[in-house]
Amino acid sequence: MISVKLERRLERKRFLVVSVPAMSIFAALVAGAVFLEATGRPSGAVLSHMAEAAFGSMDGITNTLGTCTPLIFTGLAAAIAMRMGLYNIGGEGQLYAGAIASSGAALAWTQDASTPFAITVVFVAGAVGGMVWILIPALARAFLGTSEVITTLMMVFVADRLLDYLILGSDSYWRDPLSVGFPKGERIPEAAQFAKWFDGSLVTVALPVAVVMVLVVWAIGWRTSLGFEMKVIGDSPNAARYAGIAQRRTIVVALLMSGALAGMAGATEVGARAYQLDPGGLRLSLGFTGIVVAALARANPFGAALVAFFLGGLQSAGRSIQAASDVQVPKSLALTLQGTILLFVLGGEIFSRYRPRVAFNAATPHERLGAEA
Amino acid sequence: MNSNAWIISIGASLAAATPIVLAALGAILHERAGVLNLGVEGMMLIGAVAAFLAADAWGNVWLALLCGILAGGSLAIIHSLLAVTFRANQIVAGLALTIFGTGVAKYLGEPVNGVAISTSINEIKMPFVGNLPAVGRVLFQQDVLTYATWAAVILVSLYINRTRLGLALRAVGESPATADAQGISVARVRHVHVLLGGLFAGAGGAYQALARAPGWNQEATTNGIGWIALSLVVFATWRPGRALFGAFIFGFAIRSQFTFQAQGITIIPSLVLDILPYALTIIVLIVMSFGTARQRLGAPAALGMPFVRDER
Repeated sequence: MISVKLERRLERKRFLVVSVPAMSIFAALVAGAVFLEATGRPSGAVLSHMAEAAFGSMDGITNTLGTCTPLIFTGLAAAIAMRMGLYNIGGEGQLYAGAIASSGAALAWTQDASTPFAITVVFVAGAVGGMVWILIPALARAFLGTSEVITTLMMVFVADRLLDYLILGSDSYWRDPLSVGFPKGERIPEAAQFAKWFDGSLVTVALPVAVVMVLVVWAIGWRTSLGFEMKVIGDSPNAARYAGIAQRRTIVVALLMSGALAGMAGATEVGARAYQLDPGGLRLSLGFTGIVVAALARANPFGAALVAFFLGGLQSAGRSIQAASDVQVPKSLALTLQGTILLFVLGGEIFSRYRPRVAFNAATPHERLGAEA
Repeated sequence: MNSNAWIISIGASLAAATPIVLAALGAILHERAGVLNLGVEGMMLIGAVAAFLAADAWGNVWLALLCGILAGGSLAIIHSLLAVTFRANQIVAGLALTIFGTGVAKYLGEPVNGVAISTSINEIKMPFVGNLPAVGRVLFQQDVLTYATWAAVILVSLYINRTRLGLALRAVGESPATADAQGISVARVRHVHVLLGGLFAGAGGAYQALARAPGWNQEATTNGIGWIALSLVVFATWRPGRALFGAFIFGFAIRSQFTFQAQGITIIPSLVLDILPYALTIIVLIVMSFGTARQRLGAPAALGMPFVRDER
């Protein structure tokens, strides 16, 4: 009899923390190559085209940076909740709400404003929108113990329908009254449109703001007593209660921060890309991808920025291979690869936590007892 | 007001409920075993694309349905491997499956976007009862899979509540340590029910591609139905019969806005009907959180928690 048992590792080996995910990503890319070959595409050409498009040139890198900016925000949003063992699955909805709030605020208050004021308005309004959207799930979680997983998820679809309603279904404040044919959002004033730093890519002031938020999240989560309390609640709610930590307040504060960060991703989409409330263009699953970012980064803010850069590259490469004349692969390949990588990293993680032990002819305690009896 | 339009609309909302009920039945089974699966949307999409491609290639709708079911099941095997064997985080694993399934379905669906298929699961009119006024149109002129779904609701309900295996299932979902002490293999029960969940979700996805509007539409084919099914499971407090009832309400909310529009009724803005299923789910979740209701209606106690015998 050969049996494989998983033994818990007593300590996390440092080299495993890096080598196991690296091997998992490599294995995922091999699986992606097999998938490409099985569907009749030249895997080598496609993958090297993607790597080249994402990271191989200055244009590629600025495209990747532009694409990853909202992902940094949504990744941080998921990460700060995960820091205390909470799962904000609704980053997507808070992003929509942030976009609604920031475009509305820009239309209302930035007509003759200065650029710094307008940028502030866009981000603050986005953050407030995201916080409003997570308020009910946060309060329900803190005061009633209602699982935030499904409530935040449901709020995504409420925001999704609200988006369509504001632009397609009503004569709202957000809709351009002069749009002919297909209804569009009204364009926000020039002051609120973030200047592009490079031609043709979406790198704007939003990128440094995102980097600052990485530092802010790290400082709050890892260097303040609030952050420590969050970690204690996440690791052991009983210990937190015994230590007298105000759990309800901490839960509400952490989830509101999470919502605010996701809302800022929505503000970025409005200020850096669409310049209006654009329901079709917002539906890029940036919020859901943020959970992937945080999971791959193990909820670490610096890791989140790094993973967001990598996944941003994957997405921008996905758009490129769809347009490229020599390969012509559907852009959903990027989504497929993203899912594959996450699945492999999750599966691989067990090897950094457990040690597989192969046993030959080893009788289990039950069998031994049986033999004696 | 045209009553005939309403009768047709109610009949159509029963059919619109079928894929949601199928996926929800599957989700009830694996959530009752304590495994949360946010991958339902991905499983439905992959079931839909597999069924569509099979129907397109071979022209046999039943073979296509089988392909859809198996595709959903194969994704479920990945989930149970990750969530049960590898003890990965169930929320992230489920989400990864939805991303993966959506990616694969859109990748494979891209070349056939907008293609319709000639064969489909047709409605059949039951003899005698199908001719009854109103009721006949609503209840007895549905397709085979819709009838099969109603039968499955009864069977799954009996299975969970009235059989020894169902008792084991509930024990595993409520208190895996107790079930383990009784000699029930927690891992095996979870593997089996996650697989069943995937098969059901695959069937729901296949229904979307093969019945009603047979064809492939990159944006619309399942578009969020898996998420509605998950919310339905909560709304129904993990009970099959209530899921069927809730799906009729959800299906009616989705369908009736078209009927309202067609009839020129604008008292209820479309937004309200649109968000109704999700708002109801949030309300049910919150109400469930209050003291006594939590025990009576609440989620399986071990939902989302991996079980490791030597680490509890």
